[in-house]
Amino acid sequence: MRFIKSKKPEKIDIPPGELVEQALSPVLQDNREKLRILLAGCSDVVMRDFMLASHPPTPGLLLYFDGLVDKEQVALHLLQPLLTEQNTGDSSGNLSPDEMLKRVQYRILSISEVKTLSNIEELLHHISSGDTVLLIDGCSSGLVAGTRSWQSRAIQTPENEITIYGPKEGLSETLRFNTALLRRRIKSTNFKIENMVIGKLSKTDVALFYIEHIAPRPMVEELKKRLEAIDIDAVLDPRYLVEFVADEKRSIFTQEQYTEKPDRLCGYLLEGRIAVMVDGSPMALIVPVSFLEYLISPEDYYINYIAASLFRLLRLGAFAIALLLPSLYVAVITYHHEMVPTPLLLTLAATRQGVPFPAFVEALLLDLTFELLREAGLRLPRAVGPAVSIVGALIIGDAAVRAGLVSTPMVVIIAATGIASFASPSYNAGIIIRIARFAFLIASGLLGFLGIMIALILLFVRMASLSSLGLPYLAPLAPFNWQQLGDIFIRRPWFENRKRPYLEGMENQWRQGKSTGG
Amino acid sequence: MFRISHFQLYCILLLLVGPVAFLETPNILIIHLGCNAWLAAIGTIVPGILLAAMFQYIIKKSSQPFPLLLEEHLGKILGKFLGFLYILAFLLASSFTLRLFVDFIVTNVLPQTPISVFIGVLLLVGFVAIKSGLENLARCCELVTLLGLPFAFLIFLVAIIENWNPGNLLPFAYMDLTSFSLGLLSCSYVLGKMLPILSLAFFCPRQEKIRQVMFLVISTYVALMLATTLATLMTLDISMSNIATFPTFSTIRLLHIADFIQNIDIVFIGIWIMGVFGSVTIPWFMACYTAQQLFALKDYRFLAAPSSLIIGVFSILMGKNILELLAVSMHIIPLLYSFVFILLPFLLFLLTLFKPYPESATLAEPGSKAESSA
Repeated sequence: MRFIKSKKPEKIDIPPGELVEQALSPVLQDNREKLRILLAGCSDVVMRDFMLASHPPTPGLLLYFDGLVDKEQVALHLLQPLLTEQNTGDSSGNLSPDEMLKRVQYRILSISEVKTLSNIEELLHHISSGDTVLLIDGCSSGLVAGTRSWQSRAIQTPENEITIYGPKEGLSETLRFNTALLRRRIKSTNFKIENMVIGKLSKTDVALFYIEHIAPRPMVEELKKRLEAIDIDAVLDPRYLVEFVADEKRSIFTQEQYTEKPDRLCGYLLEGRIAVMVDGSPMALIVPVSFLEYLISPEDYYINYIAASLFRLLRLGAFAIALLLPSLYVAVITYHHEMVPTPLLLTLAATRQGVPFPAFVEALLLDLTFELLREAGLRLPRAVGPAVSIVGALIIGDAAVRAGLVSTPMVVIIAATGIASFASPSYNAGIIIRIARFAFLIASGLLGFLGIMIALILLFVRMASLSSLGLPYLAPLAPFNWQQLGDIFIRRPWFENRKRPYLEGMENQWRQGKSTGG
Repeated sequence: MFRISHFQLYCILLLLVGPVAFLETPNILIIHLGCNAWLAAIGTIVPGILLAAMFQYIIKKSSQPFPLLLEEHLGKILGKFLGFLYILAFLLASSFTLRLFVDFIVTNVLPQTPISVFIGVLLLVGFVAIKSGLENLARCCELVTLLGLPFAFLIFLVAIIENWNPGNLLPFAYMDLTSFSLGLLSCSYVLGKMLPILSLAFFCPRQEKIRQVMFLVISTYVALMLATTLATLMTLDISMSNIATFPTFSTIRLLHIADFIQNIDIVFIGIWIMGVFGSVTIPWFMACYTAQQLFALKDYRFLAAPSSLIIGVFSILMGKNILELLAVSMHIIPLLYSFVFILLPFLLFLLTLFKPYPESATLAEPGSKAESSA
């Protein structure tokens, strides 16, 4: 008959920080005591004692966080077999603790994911992640069973990336659901998902996605290196990471792309980009990206390429309007009247009569008001937000014109600018445009058209100096690459889109076989 | 090792020769040759090709980039002396371009604004560009060329189409040889500003393509001068062109498109600023780079700040007004540029004729000063 002599638990007076790093003790009572100290104040922890149905019965402990596990799975596939299964010992009852653990792992537990663990830090990480840990008296290792299940948002259409055609699924806050969404689309073993844990307190699961031989290996390694170097207490969103991994950290020019759409993410991965996802956020961070890619909408690839090309050119025009229209208007009205045909100039002069501010101040005030309304609209509850911003814009605009504070053409200019800024498919690009617009406005107020051009040169100089994980920010315009530019300003038809956009170090640039023809 | 692409090299060289010539050269050509000014513009292709061949030959015969090649061929003392002379020449080129442009702006666009404001602003832009390095400067040059060149050609094409009057170009070839030679010289000496190729070629991946790049630059320059001269002659005719200080811009100012778009000279000037940015910044960069190589300094970027002061002060002191500047531009600058950018390289070329080809004449050695600084 097998008999394990239970030792008396010793009193533990080790600080919790050191306790975490310790290995599991073969004495269950010791482990329980350590866990009691470490999990003090964690009301959601469940510690379920049981007696293993062995001969003689052996004490055991099941450990998990309530709300993170599938209780039905715990009851049916863990607890029930442990309590009822008699086959834990051999007839002589001479099983060693390790043999007993193996028998439990391979012959008793009917759950699919089971592995062993040997230290307390690992144990805490697993239970915090929704796994269930099983400790058996006498065994210096424990078992961890994959029982993760929690309430989460169902797969929905992303609100920020509305498309008419194409898949409607969006990424969710659960990393594992997201990996499944991607794996379903790229059924290749070259599609790699590498996991890491970042955050001293949050222990957040972070996943790195890329396609081997397409994503440049040096870029993948560099990104991993930068991610591994992050030492922060918690990571709640990929945006926490981006400020660590960006090439140029102090810049308003964001050097990454975000998406909530798995199809769009796969599109990027197939072009050799690398994605980073953080458990708890539906946003995927994509690097490297160039600025011009912000003009591309995911929908472009789901509609006729000629129409898509025209829409891209339209968006390019909208980009220019959003950036430059108010400053151009101020420059023309203030410095270069001669450019305006006489009838139009007279009309403009008539509308500006009685306006107390110079055009520059007028534009600045109105643009600031517009931004204020937009910001307020975002913060208000969804039911009233749009209404408030529209009503606010209408009423304030109309009242300002009636009061003679601003001229009607200026309202038209700012409204057109606002509409144009919404045409940008990327929120990142929108932010850059909004900030840069004010710089251009000030430059045009100071030196007219010359000021605008000087600001533009400064913008070029700054943007040309940036890179995203080594990819020049203004590529393929600077450095110029005619072939790749063919799929930026217009949408190249698929039958001609044989090569991926080249990235330094990319092994496989061909996305189509040479026999594919159009 | 950092490389610049052939297209970037093309853009850099074009910005060195194009923008200022575009303002001055058609005027000078029309003064010398009248209705046949455009023939001299076409003829520039011959001296241009000869210059390109000369530069190419010097590169082939040198194992190190300019200004180190001066020491390689002329010895340490003379090489250093000439290198120092070139620093001054580049600073002068930068200052003169800056001042000419600023005076043009003050005369034509914003007469009330002090020139120091424009000089300060443009120096700031150039300073930022040089501080960010050659790679970035090359990218900026690409952007400027991509934006500016099609626009320039488009404008002159519209001007030619709108004022189509080939009668203004007659009588054909009615000119004496002296005038033609003077015209040819005044259109050609500008191409000597391609001299930075002696440094930049060593940053290019395939040196055998450099000849093509230079030929493309010369072709574009010739096409630009031809289009500008033709548009000016057709729009203004000879008498009006001779009266106007800047006939090129008078041509653009007279454009009326669809009875709505008018007086677009300011738009053109705006685009032109970008070219001027290149014309000011590249010689400035060359001055810093030459100084770094000459004095074996670790980096050239820190020289951008002190040299900006020199350029700023120099450009303010250069002349009292635009008339003085134009006189300098007509009589002194061509001689100076011809001496520094054509004659001295020609002498160097003669010297290299008698020298053997170097063992590794393709690229600067990794880790050499040329590489590490860029």
